[in-house]
Amino acid sequence: MRRLGGEVWFGLILLALCSAVAVLAPVLAPYDPRAFSGQPLERPSRAHPLGTNDVGQDILSELIYGARVSLTVALAAGAGTVLLGLLVGGMAGYAGGWLDQALMRLVDGMLSLPRLPLLILFATFLGSGLPQTIAVISFLFWPTTARVVRAQVQSVRQRGYVRMARQFGASHPYVFLRHILPAIGPLIAYGLVTSAGHAVAMEAGLAFLGLGDPLVKSWGLMMRFALNLPGLFLTDRWLWWLLPPALCVTLLILALALMGIGLEQNLNPRLARRWR
Amino acid sequence: MMLMVQDLRVTFPLDGKTGLRAVDGVSFDLAPGASLGIVGETGAGKTTIARALLGLHPPGCVQGSIRLDGRELVGLSEEAWRAIRWRRIALVPQSVGTALDPVYRVGDQIAEPLRYHLGLSPAEAWDRSLELARRVGLEPRHLRAYPHQLSGGEKQRALLAMALSCAPDILVLDEPTSGQDMLSRARLLDLLDALCREGGMGLLVISHDLAAVARLTERVAVLYAGQLVEVGPTAEVFQDPRHPYTWGLLHAYPDMSTARDLRGIRGAPPDPANPPPGCRFHPRCTQAIDRCRREEPPLREIGGRWIACHLGGLQTLLRAEGLRKTFFVDGGEPEERVEAVREATLDIREGEVVALVGETGSGKTTLGQMLVGLLPPNGGRVVLEGRELTAAKGKERRAMMSRIQLIPQDPFDAVSPRLTVAEMVREPLDIQAIGTPEEREAKVRQALQTVGLPTSSDFLARRAHELSGGQLQRVVLARALVLEPKLIVADEPVSMLDPSEQARVINLLKEIQTERGLALLLISHDLALVRKIADRILVMHRGQIVEEGPGNRIVTRPEHEHTRVLLEAAPRLG
Amino acid sequence: MGVGRRAFVYLLTFWVILTLNFLLPRLLPGDPLAALLDPSSSDYVYDPQVRAALAAYYGLDRPLPEQYGRYLLGILTGDLGRSIRLNRPVAELVVGHLPWTLLLVGTALLFSSALALLAGTESAWRRGSWADRGLVSASILLANVPVYFAGMMLLLLFGARLRWLPLAGGRTPFARYPSALAAALDIGRHLILPALTLTLAMLGAKFLLVRNATVNVLGEDFMLVARAKGLPEGRLKWGHALRNALLPFVAHLAAHAGMAVTGAVFIETLFSYPGMGRLIFESVTARDYPVIQGAFLVVSAVVLTANFLADIINLHLDPRLREGGAVG
Repeated sequence: MRRLGGEVWFGLILLALCSAVAVLAPVLAPYDPRAFSGQPLERPSRAHPLGTNDVGQDILSELIYGARVSLTVALAAGAGTVLLGLLVGGMAGYAGGWLDQALMRLVDGMLSLPRLPLLILFATFLGSGLPQTIAVISFLFWPTTARVVRAQVQSVRQRGYVRMARQFGASHPYVFLRHILPAIGPLIAYGLVTSAGHAVAMEAGLAFLGLGDPLVKSWGLMMRFALNLPGLFLTDRWLWWLLPPALCVTLLILALALMGIGLEQNLNPRLARRWR
Repeated sequence: MMLMVQDLRVTFPLDGKTGLRAVDGVSFDLAPGASLGIVGETGAGKTTIARALLGLHPPGCVQGSIRLDGRELVGLSEEAWRAIRWRRIALVPQSVGTALDPVYRVGDQIAEPLRYHLGLSPAEAWDRSLELARRVGLEPRHLRAYPHQLSGGEKQRALLAMALSCAPDILVLDEPTSGQDMLSRARLLDLLDALCREGGMGLLVISHDLAAVARLTERVAVLYAGQLVEVGPTAEVFQDPRHPYTWGLLHAYPDMSTARDLRGIRGAPPDPANPPPGCRFHPRCTQAIDRCRREEPPLREIGGRWIACHLGGLQTLLRAEGLRKTFFVDGGEPEERVEAVREATLDIREGEVVALVGETGSGKTTLGQMLVGLLPPNGGRVVLEGRELTAAKGKERRAMMSRIQLIPQDPFDAVSPRLTVAEMVREPLDIQAIGTPEEREAKVRQALQTVGLPTSSDFLARRAHELSGGQLQRVVLARALVLEPKLIVADEPVSMLDPSEQARVINLLKEIQTERGLALLLISHDLALVRKIADRILVMHRGQIVEEGPGNRIVTRPEHEHTRVLLEAAPRLG
Repeated sequence: MGVGRRAFVYLLTFWVILTLNFLLPRLLPGDPLAALLDPSSSDYVYDPQVRAALAAYYGLDRPLPEQYGRYLLGILTGDLGRSIRLNRPVAELVVGHLPWTLLLVGTALLFSSALALLAGTESAWRRGSWADRGLVSASILLANVPVYFAGMMLLLLFGARLRWLPLAGGRTPFARYPSALAAALDIGRHLILPALTLTLAMLGAKFLLVRNATVNVLGEDFMLVARAKGLPEGRLKWGHALRNALLPFVAHLAAHAGMAVTGAVFIETLFSYPGMGRLIFESVTARDYPVIQGAFLVVSAVVLTANFLADIINLHLDPRLREGGAVG
């Protein structure tokens, strides 16, 4: 393991902070985010450090609970994406032949589609619950991971020790678990982190566009409500209503992306030299 | 003098303070129309020199001086270098497969320098590249092709045409033959040879392909670990290498005219980031002395050859001059004497394997015994490492004799039946009183390991009759090794053994010789056997050395009548 | 793979999209299309005229294969259905909105590509320098900031705070232009902020791509040979290094087109820009299914066409991809 760069530490600390907030939300939040704890559109005060929204809910509490939504999506959609990608990419890379060809055509096709319109189409018809959102994101983002996994599996499969193992009479599951999986382990970690980042961005984006779960107050949904207020930008209300959730989403995405870059450099030392 | 390279040093920065010195103090020059080869192993710094001549290293890496017609090139700006590159010095790069830009037509790439250096119009440049292509044997369709559509040989020619485009004063060929099959290599060499003869152009050939360098160059410089170790006329250097490294390099090079097995140079080239102190070759050199470990030898002229060696090159280890031995038949008349050895003169160089071949009664065993000092000669002298063995007395003589060890023909005769293995091997140490008993014990075990024998106490306690012939011969060999000799004289060492054991013992002998850097004089009647390992063969007939020469020459083109007889008599299957 | 074969692959992909678009609403539980005509549903369409048009268009009472046939036939004749919200043909709405998106995405693609190619090559040429490190760090940041966040910041800074540029729309409402130039200027002024946002959103990823591709090219043997040939720096940098780095760049244009569309949806929503993204956003809010589906099809077709064009460009840029092996 190479020394971790500063950017990775920055990412890790941000992520840890976000996780702590999510876990400790009931302790940290001053109010129940759904409770109408103040007058509508209050300015920041001692009682409401970030003021209240248009129906009088405490914005800080919403923000704190919003971390739970984003992290849930990151974890679930990230895992879903990687699992699908691992399955398809692993199969294609390991089996080779026509199955590989067919699966890779599918991957190419999916990668050439505009993702957001497709996402919108699915979200429109599947409904806008959080589980649906997670499923749709996983379904649309796996091809990138599949392609990388396939390339790695293919190269590992060509290695002498794998072919030797087959000659010693090892079964396919044995080879896959003993030799292939460890070789793509770091890749999985990388895929997980980057997919999680995409998922967070997409979930917030969908919520922002009005395709999120209206019952789950996420950071994206907060932005949508804020932007729905006519003349938001004419006062400085955006400063405590729109900016905090937007900043939170951005920082979480950045944290995941930076960790991804760090992991990528660990995967590929040649790349590390390119960055520096 | 057109190109003068003085004390060229190229250092690449590594992590931290230390740099990697790929080329360290190399000097050579190249007159107009002359040719120079630079040979050496991979990693010796050959390509680094080629790139330095075109100013392709990052600024600050190159020190020393490169003068072209008196003008200093080291330290020139990128802009100034641009005018030198290709117009004055052009390069045919090593990596043929990837040296052409994949997105441009080959012809456009040949024409490219014409347009930038000579200011030709695209049409003129294209016409000129057609002409160049013809010179190297390419057709117009090759110029219209993209690099991926050409074969390796065609790409090599295209690169050559490209290098010739601005009619450079100096052409640098970096491994021109690497990656080519033997036939296209031969055609390429013909072409290069013809091009160079056309005149005027200085040629620098950088290669580990010794045959290509021999074919293309008048002079050759041998590079080892970033330093030149020998410089001289190509034919002479390859015929008679003087530096131990050159000698080893030539012996490691496969050659159709050699019957001998390939031998490598012991050890491995040094890590360029951390070269050994003193002479860089000393850890692999068979004749290294203390000074070699401390001081870097300068490249100096010795007899028309430039050599970097404190000892002035390969040393003569043992020299015999006019040795004579006459035996008188017991109780007979003075006329009834046998002239066993008549005026025998020979020398053996450091690390060399010399075979002394002759039939039974030719006097070769007698000569061997005189060389090791077992038998006093009637005339002549034996000189070991510059001191006369035949004149030495007492302690000095004892010490000198321990430098030469004899492996006799009959191992059963060579050891006492009453001694155990441990005692047999330890005997020379006991006699010379070397070390404490524990140290002797350790040396014995080490020697036995070297010859591939067990060191168990059970084995150490065995006596001669409990061992096989092969085992016993190994014990004798181990006994010879404990004194760390410089020369082993082996008199028919395997003739009493069965064939498979013969092969094993000969291989072992050769292996020990290479690893320990010993010289070996192999006395045998069997040309078929000795030619596999001998660098040089001496043929003896009726007490005289009648023919002497490199092993391959003796075997393929024997000159003396008797050598032919011996060759005829050598065993053949079918 | 030749042009014909590539075209076929793209047509096949488009057919898969068409079929997906057809099947998705029909196969889902609760059938969202049937709900439009079901008086007990919350999605029930009250306007009898629109309801009749929808029933005729979807033909839900007919067997599925016949529905599919009519659907494909409709697409071929440019019939994308009718908007519930606006009671106008979807095709008409698309024609009204698509040019704005093309203008926005085209401008942003052009500027981001040009900037990325210039800066990426220069940065790679000076790799390891402070300028290079700074640009790489900034690009990593830029590539990962969500586009809506960047848009908000720009909107606030230039639109709301400094009031230099219009906050919303594609042109001044109800304006009458004395000349074509005045119209172009007005449209240009409205374009600046959204196009700038989209340019920035794409710049990070594109820059990193060009830079890393160029760094790889610079390590190639033919670059050393080109230098040894004594070519001027400009020729080395642009003629050889960038020329080769263009190949991966163009190959990624496809992915970038998709990225641009994603960005456009957010940006048009944010800036109330009258393009396809805005149309999709408004339709999503109103659950106007025919428009969402039609817009999806059109956007997909545009992106696939862009991919196809990128493939053809690359075919021209990289002789190794062309048909025909060794000469002679």
